[in-house]
Amino acid sequence: MSLLELKNVSKIYGELKALDNVSLHVDKGEWVAIMGPSGSGKSTMMNIIGCMDKPTKGEVLLDGVDISKESSKHLTDIRRDKIGLIFQQFHMVNYLTAVENVMVSQYYHSMPDEAEALEALGRVGLRERARHLPSQLSGGEQQRVCVARALINHPELILADEPTGNLDEANENIVLDLFRQLHREGTTLIVVTHDPEVAEAAQRTIVLEHGRVAKEVINENFVE
Amino acid sequence: MTKRRMFLRMITASLLRRRSRMLIALLSIGIGATILAGLVTIYYDVPRQMRSQMRSYGANMLVMPAEGETLTGETLDEALAQFPEDALVGAAPYRYVRLDMTSRQQSFTTAGTDFEQVRKTSPYFSVEGRYPEATREILVGKEIAETIGVKVGSEMELTWQPSASNAQGEASDDWTPGASLTGSAEGWSGGAVSVSTRLDDEGRIAEITVDASTQTAEFGGRAQTDEAFLGQFVGKKLPLRLTGVTDENAGAGIRTAMTAAPEGSDEVDALTGATVTSSAVVNALNGARAATAANQPRTMKYTVSGILVTGGEEEGYVFMALSDLENLTGEDRLDVAELSVSAEEDQLNAYAEQLTGGDIGVTARLVKRVTKSETAVLGKLQALVFLVTAVVLLLTMICVSTTMMAVVSERRREIGLRKALGASDNSIRSEFLGEGIFLGTLGGVLGAILGFVFAQVVSVNVFGSSITFQPLLLPVTVIVSVAIAAVSCLAPIKRAVAIDPALVLKGE
Repeated sequence: MSLLELKNVSKIYGELKALDNVSLHVDKGEWVAIMGPSGSGKSTMMNIIGCMDKPTKGEVLLDGVDISKESSKHLTDIRRDKIGLIFQQFHMVNYLTAVENVMVSQYYHSMPDEAEALEALGRVGLRERARHLPSQLSGGEQQRVCVARALINHPELILADEPTGNLDEANENIVLDLFRQLHREGTTLIVVTHDPEVAEAAQRTIVLEHGRVAKEVINENFVE
Repeated sequence: MTKRRMFLRMITASLLRRRSRMLIALLSIGIGATILAGLVTIYYDVPRQMRSQMRSYGANMLVMPAEGETLTGETLDEALAQFPEDALVGAAPYRYVRLDMTSRQQSFTTAGTDFEQVRKTSPYFSVEGRYPEATREILVGKEIAETIGVKVGSEMELTWQPSASNAQGEASDDWTPGASLTGSAEGWSGGAVSVSTRLDDEGRIAEITVDASTQTAEFGGRAQTDEAFLGQFVGKKLPLRLTGVTDENAGAGIRTAMTAAPEGSDEVDALTGATVTSSAVVNALNGARAATAANQPRTMKYTVSGILVTGGEEEGYVFMALSDLENLTGEDRLDVAELSVSAEEDQLNAYAEQLTGGDIGVTARLVKRVTKSETAVLGKLQALVFLVTAVVLLLTMICVSTTMMAVVSERRREIGLRKALGASDNSIRSEFLGEGIFLGTLGGVLGAILGFVFAQVVSVNVFGSSITFQPLLLPVTVIVSVAIAAVSCLAPIKRAVAIDPALVLKGE
């Protein structure tokens, strides 16, 4: 059953076609990696899927709803309810503690629940560091807080933008293990990456070039 | 945890963990609120402070007798009772007469007054020597002192001439001890009844002789001889009232004898069957007293206790205590009273109208020269303070707005992140507004307290008097600060709301 469907989506900035007639289909529970060089349209695609931008042409169906025509206010609601975001730069609110950062996500979604937030931090192995400010956490720890924050509201879709781009190998593995866990629990994952290793962890890899889907690779070695 | 608690937790965390930035914003609001609260306090206190300062320019209201009425100490007291106690700075009564200094063949306008009140209504009076304190001490204007060459401690003999211009009203009770008086009045059927009398040292009747030869011998004629009738006059003080008349249709002479003297005066009973003649005796005595009192010059010796220097026309006057002047002239009436009233022009006008319109028998008017300039100066001063307040308000708003603007640009990424995490525009608005209001409240409380201190310091240093804390100042300052902070946040918030959540993905 499909969770996300892009139908002939184009995004045009003046002369530049950031996305050119792209179609894409992601099933519920699927783990998809998106690769491509800089300027290939990855970020644009990410923004559109993440309900932060609208395509110039085409349709985007998220959980059956066409988000390409929604108002930005509605897009915010949809993003809040259905999507968990993970960024390359970790992006935490720097004056809030780890657990408070997780709770911010709860706050915008529904109700802040400290116990639940602490549990989520426990899941990423940071229960002990819950009261630390971002400046007191390492990069890997910060990214794990971001993972906890992304999954706290049980989103349909986790959208990760270069989640391991700024991490060392050890932390990269921790994050990938967390993704595997989430996948096993049935969460749909879309991971944008440069790193072939990260891409290989996914079930399927879409390669973008010049705003088009250049190829699609099914990962034969995918371990469930 | 409720959403509200999380909201407060985020705001307090933002303020407490980003201290330096927030301290600047708090400081700008706090200083603005301080100056604002201080200036507002001064703005409202300036008239009060200045009004008492302004009272040193002299009296601002004159009370005079209404047409056909006399102003006396009693009527003045009655008029003064109309003022609230704290509004009346001073009220100096004045009675002006010409007194002669026979030895120099000079005559001076002499003012009888109350020196204690003069000090309040005319604080600019400068006295070489001192104000009179004992009886028969006088203050001499500098001009007179120079003309006749008197100094502090000199003695002056002043004479009151009961001339046409001076003689008015009633003589006092103790005017001419030892005098002999004669008078006559109309008795029965137009016949004149003459009386002569001698007064003792206390001004009481010692002897009395009546010539009633024009009257019917068996009726009015007895007034001349009846010892019981004549005897009752001895030891009594003039003027007299006639009593013992029961005829309600008594003629004019009888009515005069019954009522001409003030109530409480000594009384004599009419001779039975000769009421008209009795009234003539009383009228003759009263008339003789009035005529003599009005025509007898009196001289007294005074000591100069001080020379008055004002630079104005007062330097040509002699001043003495009202009681001394009354002793000399035997009159207790006043010409005018100078009032120094601490109130603004409208209120002064209201007082004046109240006095003039009342049934006390006085008219009051404002000394326009003083009230107008006072109003003008106060108005300008308040306008100045108001202007400064407005400028400070504007500067505070600019300062807070700039700080908030800086806060927003500094937190672009955070705002983008919050939006990416699902914050609606309203959430962003309420978070920033919440921070602003929090800062405004804190700054307002700080400002109200420091502002009062500031106003106090200004007041003590400039006006030399302290001010009382207005409890209303605290909520007003806090509300104004919150309003300023909120308004200042509007533009930054608009910018915050416009931030694109996608920027967090771009790895900036």
